Amino acid sequence: MLAYVTRRTISALVSLVLASVLVFSALLAIPGDPAEVLLGMDANPVTRAAVRAQLGLDVPPLQRFGQWFTSAARGDLGESLAYSRPVSELVWERLSVSVPLTVAAALLACIIAVPLGVLAAVSRRSYVDPLVTGLAQVGAAIPSFWLGLMLIVWFAVDLRWLPSGGFVPWDRDWVGTVRSLVLPVIALGLGQAAVMTRMTRAVMIENLSADYVRTARAKGVHETGVVMKHALRNALVTLVTVFGLSLSNVFIGSIIIEQVFSLPGLGRLALSSIGNRDFPLVQGVVLIYAGAIILLSFLVDLSYGFLDPRIRYS
Amino acid sequence: MRKFVKPLVALTVVVGLAVAQAQEPVYGGEAVIAITAAPPGWDPSASTSQEIPRVVYGNVYEGLVIFDRDGSIVPALATDWETSEDGLTWTFSVRDGVKFHDGSDLQLSDIVARFERARDPESGHTNHAYYAAITEVSADEDANTVTFTLSEPRASLLFDLARGDSVIYPAALQESQASQPIGTGPFTFADYIEGSEVRLERFDDYWNAELPYLDSAVFRIMSDSNSRFAALQSGDIDVIGVALAPEQYMQLASNPELQGTEGTATTEITVAMNNTREPFDNLLVRQAITHAIDKEAIVQGAFFGLGTIIGSHMSPAEPYYIDLSDTYAYDPERARELLAEAGYADGLTFSFELPEPYNIERRTGEVIAQQLAQVGITAELSVVEWTTWINRILLGGDYDMTIIGHSEPRDINVYGNPDYYYHYDNERVRELLAEAESAATTEESFAAFQEVARIIAEDAVNVWVFSTPYLVAARADIHGFWTDQPTPSINVTEVFRAP
Repeated sequence: MLAYVTRRTISALVSLVLASVLVFSALLAIPGDPAEVLLGMDANPVTRAAVRAQLGLDVPPLQRFGQWFTSAARGDLGESLAYSRPVSELVWERLSVSVPLTVAAALLACIIAVPLGVLAAVSRRSYVDPLVTGLAQVGAAIPSFWLGLMLIVWFAVDLRWLPSGGFVPWDRDWVGTVRSLVLPVIALGLGQAAVMTRMTRAVMIENLSADYVRTARAKGVHETGVVMKHALRNALVTLVTVFGLSLSNVFIGSIIIEQVFSLPGLGRLALSSIGNRDFPLVQGVVLIYAGAIILLSFLVDLSYGFLDPRIRYS
Repeated sequence: MRKFVKPLVALTVVVGLAVAQAQEPVYGGEAVIAITAAPPGWDPSASTSQEIPRVVYGNVYEGLVIFDRDGSIVPALATDWETSEDGLTWTFSVRDGVKFHDGSDLQLSDIVARFERARDPESGHTNHAYYAAITEVSADEDANTVTFTLSEPRASLLFDLARGDSVIYPAALQESQASQPIGTGPFTFADYIEGSEVRLERFDDYWNAELPYLDSAVFRIMSDSNSRFAALQSGDIDVIGVALAPEQYMQLASNPELQGTEGTATTEITVAMNNTREPFDNLLVRQAITHAIDKEAIVQGAFFGLGTIIGSHMSPAEPYYIDLSDTYAYDPERARELLAEAGYADGLTFSFELPEPYNIERRTGEVIAQQLAQVGITAELSVVEWTTWINRILLGGDYDMTIIGHSEPRDINVYGNPDYYYHYDNERVRELLAEAESAATTEESFAAFQEVARIIAEDAVNVWVFSTPYLVAARADIHGFWTDQPTPSINVTEVFRAP
């Protein structure tokens, strides 16, 4: 087990380094630099050169990356060129929006998807299955930004139950924070729930027609036990894998949802930092995204051991 | 002593339930205003991002002089000023008893230090060129005046001193302005939740004891246009003072809780052509392109008639505006003839690049490409990301045709720079602009600007399509906001709430 964790940690670090090299090369390849963005349309070349020097852009790219890399390895992600603030501070602030948003949306998706998927799978000969499948089809087809806007129109403009957007920081008024996250979580979670419901249904149908289910039924196990203890338990390994993978969709989807609900999250920071060619900030944000996805797949792998005792790590 | 106070004709149309008559101001309350993006810091002299002055100009920061709502230049930290006969010395009397938001007194040395820095091209100040003619800035403590000595007369000095680049803050706090603005304006910069909202609060020691009316103003960063409008309808925000879509403006009249105003702004939607590159190096082709574009149809069809058709690089918000929209007016037959004359009877193909994320420009560009197709011109559309646009097109000058809104006030002087991305070089224009620069009176410099406007229109350097209106949507109980945009500023100094 320890050897396994060590191996995974090393491969995670290698992935992170590769991701930052990739992002750095991509930023070099696209035109424009932060001094041009800051100074805009009519700046003169002397001023532009001065600002480039102030931002440390007069250093050759490879050396710049080297400087960034050595300090990043020591835990210092540097300072944002556009905001003149430490990258770690900016990212940390944004995570207080993005983490609750994505985690809550993922939980919401699971809470909806698993029962509905199971229900659809066991009621294939009634109207319930086509109903659930149809709803899931519609849910998967609705773009999240549109759903977000509709939620704003219903719950903020017409009913005035919840704010139409914006964010109240946790330490000021946590009730306000929760209120500002309700609609974004629903908008982000429902689409994901639709996709996951279809997955759950498919995996459950497969398991329900397996030999061991027939054996369990033949033994006289009650139908609820067959579904919950046998089929669902066995389906979990597959479900956790696909759910884990599709959670990265929630990360990506949150960028759009943050835009619609004016949330100061990591996604909007990523977009503006790319527009500003704010190299240290882009690197910092990408490290967080890459790290989150690596961590997620690691947790998924670890969960197999608990879900299926036959799986051992070596 | 000469004073330059030039009222503009403000074309303001009020729809909805807005009360046009003067209403008694009411003190107190808060207004929430939408802005579209988080700016890179808050120092207006460190970046040309318009998001900065939109929030802080006139609200938090002031200069010696400042733009009023109609574009006139009015006293702020200076009470009055005079110029020498030769136009080389300008002396400003500084207002007594002005305090910064940190409680310190405004010192003459703060003013001198700001312009010493602005003059220095290596200081990183955004627009050092505005101050290049200043050779010395000196203070006279006894007379409480600041004197600017110039190397040559500069009619636009007062205008440049009113710009956002010229605001005054404590010299010792230069570095911290990006994160904590300290100015002399009617509101203090009380709080900023990064990427989310800015909170301004009433400054009780403001030099004009009668202002402001509001206790606080919140600027909320909302990047999605539909979300902004929904928030206004729900009452979560009170004013949309930037990037209001024409179709949203049209909806306001049907909602008694909302009001809208249509005023002027200094933005000219400009189809820029690379004047040294084939086929745009041929005047006949540029004339043909201008003749082929039906500006009226664009404004009516794509913008609900909101906008003023123009024929040169100036908007009705400029004090020197003249209507040149008849120059090479829409005439597709004439366009075909000119193309044939230029040797392109069989048609013509070039690339037409539209900048992302500018919707008005993209929408206009798409219509124009179709109109050009009617006369046999194939404009191949592509979309360019903004930073790439700045780098390759604006600074690199590498493009055929593009479209952008030029929103800097009095920016007709770019036609004197052959290196600017139009690559237009005309000696007479350069002479006239130099005359305008060194003219002793604004009247003379405005006359020179008008002559330049005529010449570039005749030369069909670019196609100036229309000037975008300044559209505001607000809750019906909000009064006193700016209905024109002579400079980027959502000025809330005189805003108040009254049913």
